[in-house]
Amino acid sequence: MDPLQSRSHFARAMPARLDMIQSVSGLILALFMWVHLLLVASILISKDAMYWVAGVMEARFLSADGHGYPWLVALFALLILVVFMVHGLLAMRKFPANWRQWQALDSHIRRMQHGDTTLWRWQAVTGFIMFFLGSAHLIIMAMDADKIGPHLSADRFISEGLWPMYLILLLSVEIHGVTGMYRLAVKWGLFDGDDPRRTRTRLKRLKIALTLFFLALGLATFAAYVKIGLEHAPQAGQRYQPGLDQSLAPGVHSPEGKHG
Amino acid sequence: MNENAIPTRSISADDCAQGRLLTLNIMRYDPQVKGDSPRMVSYQLREAPGMTLFIALNEIREQQDPSLKFDFVCRAGICGSCSMVINGRPGLACRTLTAGFSEPVITLLPLPGFELIGDLSVNTGRFMRELSERIGSWIEAAPAAETIDQLEAPMEPELAEQIYELDRCIQCSCCIAACGTRLMREDFVGAVAFIQVARFRLDPRDQRSDEEWYQIIGNDQGVFGCMSLLGCEDLCPKDLPHQTQIAFLRRKMAGAI
Amino acid sequence: MKIIYTDALVIGGGLAGLRVAIAARQRGLEAIVLSLIPAKRSHSAAAQGGMQASLASALKGAGDNEDVHFADTVRGSDWGADQRVVRMFTHVAPKAVRELAQWGVPWNRVKRGDRQAVINGQSVTLNEADDAHGLITARAFGGTNKWRTCYTSDGTGHAMLYAVDNKAIHLGIAVHERKEAIALIHEGDRCYGAVVRDLITGELIAYLAKATTIATGGYGRLYAATTNAVISEGIGTGIALATGKVTLGNMEAVQFHPTAIVPSGILTTEGCRGDGGLLRDCDGHRFMPDYEPDKAELASRDVVSRRMTEHMRKGKGAASRYGDHLWLDITLLGKAHIDKNLREVKEICQYFLGIDPVKEWIPIRPTQHYSMGGVRTGHNGETPTLKGLFAVGEAACWDLHGFNRLGGNSVAETVVSGMIVGEYVADHCYRADINIDTATVNAFVTREQRRIDQLLQGGEGEKVYELRQRMQQVMMDAVGIFRNGPDLERAIEELQQLLRRSRNLRVSHPVSSANPELEAAIRLPLMLKMALTVACGAFARTESRGAHAREDFPERNDAQWLKRTLSRWPDQDSLLPELSYEAIDVMTMELPPGYRGYGEDNAIAHADTERRRAEIEQIRHASPEADRFELQQAVMPFELPEKYRGKNQRIGVDYQ
Repeated sequence: MDPLQSRSHFARAMPARLDMIQSVSGLILALFMWVHLLLVASILISKDAMYWVAGVMEARFLSADGHGYPWLVALFALLILVVFMVHGLLAMRKFPANWRQWQALDSHIRRMQHGDTTLWRWQAVTGFIMFFLGSAHLIIMAMDADKIGPHLSADRFISEGLWPMYLILLLSVEIHGVTGMYRLAVKWGLFDGDDPRRTRTRLKRLKIALTLFFLALGLATFAAYVKIGLEHAPQAGQRYQPGLDQSLAPGVHSPEGKHG
Repeated sequence: MNENAIPTRSISADDCAQGRLLTLNIMRYDPQVKGDSPRMVSYQLREAPGMTLFIALNEIREQQDPSLKFDFVCRAGICGSCSMVINGRPGLACRTLTAGFSEPVITLLPLPGFELIGDLSVNTGRFMRELSERIGSWIEAAPAAETIDQLEAPMEPELAEQIYELDRCIQCSCCIAACGTRLMREDFVGAVAFIQVARFRLDPRDQRSDEEWYQIIGNDQGVFGCMSLLGCEDLCPKDLPHQTQIAFLRRKMAGAI
Repeated sequence: MKIIYTDALVIGGGLAGLRVAIAARQRGLEAIVLSLIPAKRSHSAAAQGGMQASLASALKGAGDNEDVHFADTVRGSDWGADQRVVRMFTHVAPKAVRELAQWGVPWNRVKRGDRQAVINGQSVTLNEADDAHGLITARAFGGTNKWRTCYTSDGTGHAMLYAVDNKAIHLGIAVHERKEAIALIHEGDRCYGAVVRDLITGELIAYLAKATTIATGGYGRLYAATTNAVISEGIGTGIALATGKVTLGNMEAVQFHPTAIVPSGILTTEGCRGDGGLLRDCDGHRFMPDYEPDKAELASRDVVSRRMTEHMRKGKGAASRYGDHLWLDITLLGKAHIDKNLREVKEICQYFLGIDPVKEWIPIRPTQHYSMGGVRTGHNGETPTLKGLFAVGEAACWDLHGFNRLGGNSVAETVVSGMIVGEYVADHCYRADINIDTATVNAFVTREQRRIDQLLQGGEGEKVYELRQRMQQVMMDAVGIFRNGPDLERAIEELQQLLRRSRNLRVSHPVSSANPELEAAIRLPLMLKMALTVACGAFARTESRGAHAREDFPERNDAQWLKRTLSRWPDQDSLLPELSYEAIDVMTMELPPGYRGYGEDNAIAHADTERRRAEIEQIRHASPEADRFELQQAVMPFELPEKYRGKNQRIGVDYQ
């Protein structure tokens, strides 16, 4: 093919590709975050459960010494970071590009009081927050990939003082993710069915239900790590030893937990 | 002189009862007059049964302020002339009943995103003409096989109905004024363009391929610029299926690369 | 002074005007359309129910052709129509529908097999033919012997207007929006264009053209209660009258539509009754069969409107704070049908009445709807007195409708006459040139500027809205459905007073740019003169014909009144038009006067009627071999532009 023509085809195809990449990266991130939350929520079952989950992630079962390969986690975190940055940068193309645009959109949102439009501002705000806090978190995870476990993770909350970051991240992620998934569905008409308007109403209801569910689960998990972090503060930095610790799920009082 | 008219009888007692005192806060600005600047002006009038904004605005113009500018043509909700921002949301003023407002205060602004002619009157015509030319809003066909003397080419009855369903757009511009994307980016074509593209794309008399449609709306000013805020879907006075049609076009255009 | 030159200037951007511009453009000419508003917002969009054309594809249209459509239209007109024009029209109507199909109108189509329909209050099963499947279907309308009205749901005018305007855009035709022609520029016996006011800046511009076409629609807004759009003030007709040279035809022929909702006057389509809807009185009684046993709700509009008024005068109207009304019942059609085919009606009921027509009856009463009268033209659409001035559509008295228009024939007329007259306009443009002195043009512009300056000069004066409202009420009360001598006399007197007062109009907001009050003040004197032509024509016409019903002269008087009223306003200072008459010659008719098949059968026959009947019989007998086209040509030959002379194909009969 004539290179000039193929280049112009490439340029022409760009908007479609970018839009698809934005959608697909968002989908990946949202699914990842839901799975991520379910995994870290294993702490609600027990420290052992969370320890086991972390072990599976590091492929501990494959290593002879039982220490696993934390670099796997680091690699994965970097991978997510890349998807995350791509998604963030693509999404930012849609942000107001200047003060006039921002003002036009802002007064529009205030004036119209329209749910899906207002929601976009929340998505933008949470996205903006995550762009910084989320990438910070991912970089920490990539660097400290070997320090994921019931105690060390909890220590990051309290002893390293990162709990405000995690709280903000949690709220942002759950609002942004579920909203994004809803918008993805209406944007591409994924579940239109016979009656797309009924579908949309149902999707909105599902969106609220999912948001509440993930927020509840997230906040409970957050509370669990905070609790362990507080309890473990004297021994901050010490790894969790499976089997040695008899404490069950947080909230269930365990006298030995205090001794760690 | 009235003996010819149809007799009027049995006027009920509540006819004499006074309606609510309505307050209309209207943005006034005449860009044609040097030195004029936008301001809100309040008008008060007595509500009557069945009163629409068409009736109320004309009453204000005829009895209180003859300089008030607004556009009505059919006053029956079919021509799309009278779109304005009514208590924050774009809508057709002619078919907005004042009784629908629980508070007797109504704020009216001109449609944003269009050239202002004066007060509540905006120039949607120029926008729509340019849009038509941009998207080619006509049947792009090879010369018809049959003459107009001959039997017309048959069409499935259901298909004709589906085309009409999308043809119902009255270009009232509410979707444009309700679109956050368009208010930010003036070159974004908006739902009124997508519904027309969907209409001509569905029409078997139109010969354009998806590759050709992609040239027209396969960009960030077109379907890939849409942020799916769905103001168009929720505020369309004709209840057109904007969400599904935009989604459909997005899929088709993504498939056309 | 700004001057814009073009070949074909079209005043009015509705269906008729756009179609003329397209015809000119397709012939290689430049066309400019002037429009008060964006063309797609024109009143043509309000035509809901459909367009008549004898395609004969639907089961109940079988056997239809130009001849049946012709006879229905002539009967509907109460023999007031120009029968040659009716022939031109009925011959081209099928072509217009098919052309529009090619341009994208999604006409509803025939579906093979059984379907349910409501006819005369009864549910019946219709079995549509296999070979008609997918062809353009039709519904019933009043005053027709076949189901002939082609439609797209109940948004026919909208679909047509959008297709035609899109075609115009495709052809690159310039539509100058928010421009109003406020005077015609003419010299001797020729028209050269118009003085045009920019409704945004207030600037006056002279548009000079080889051919000027008035396509501004009807003058419904002369009346207080009308289904017409607020822009239907007949200003194109008014500026033609103001030349003092152009004659207006049959201005007293004003149609009232039976079913406009109360109180807003918004139309519900005739399709409601065509599809099986019924009229009921305050007792819920279906009264139309009592008056019209044969056609019932589907008699012509003039007849149904009068019967309704008669019935209400008997005290059978339902009372409301807005006066009496009757009920339109479409509940028997069912939700599915209403949702699909009468959707605009449903929306109108929901938004303006707050009722659901699937479950509730609609309050309606007859309301001003259509202007049969207008700028009198020849068969080619040109005014006989000013060369280069054409009129088309509702603005014209071409004279397709005579004294009553059939439903579905108006939107059909817009495009059909646009096609035909458009060709003649193009022919004219190729013959004519623009040879007018700029000084003359300047004089016209200056005159209009002075008129405007006077309105703007301030000080004490008459208020436009007050005078306009009074005019509309006088027209409603005395020049409405039923008319009589004393009332008309009083109406003329008051309209004259209003016209005199209008010479002292002043606008209270003296801004020369965009100014609605100024626009109204520029228009009002033109409207008052038109109102006077309506009232004077009605007063002089001492008979009842079609929509013109005189209580003091209830008979149709063919002996004396088989003629067309012509009004002129030669002296601008006069308070009265000059009336004259143009005979409608029975001896050239294809269908001599007779009973319409509905309404009163009380005509006073014309002396020539029997003679002409015998003559026609003779022609038929003389050529027993001749087909229907040859016979028709022998009885009443008619002209058409070459390209529209071909015969129309139909299923089953091919080109026969």
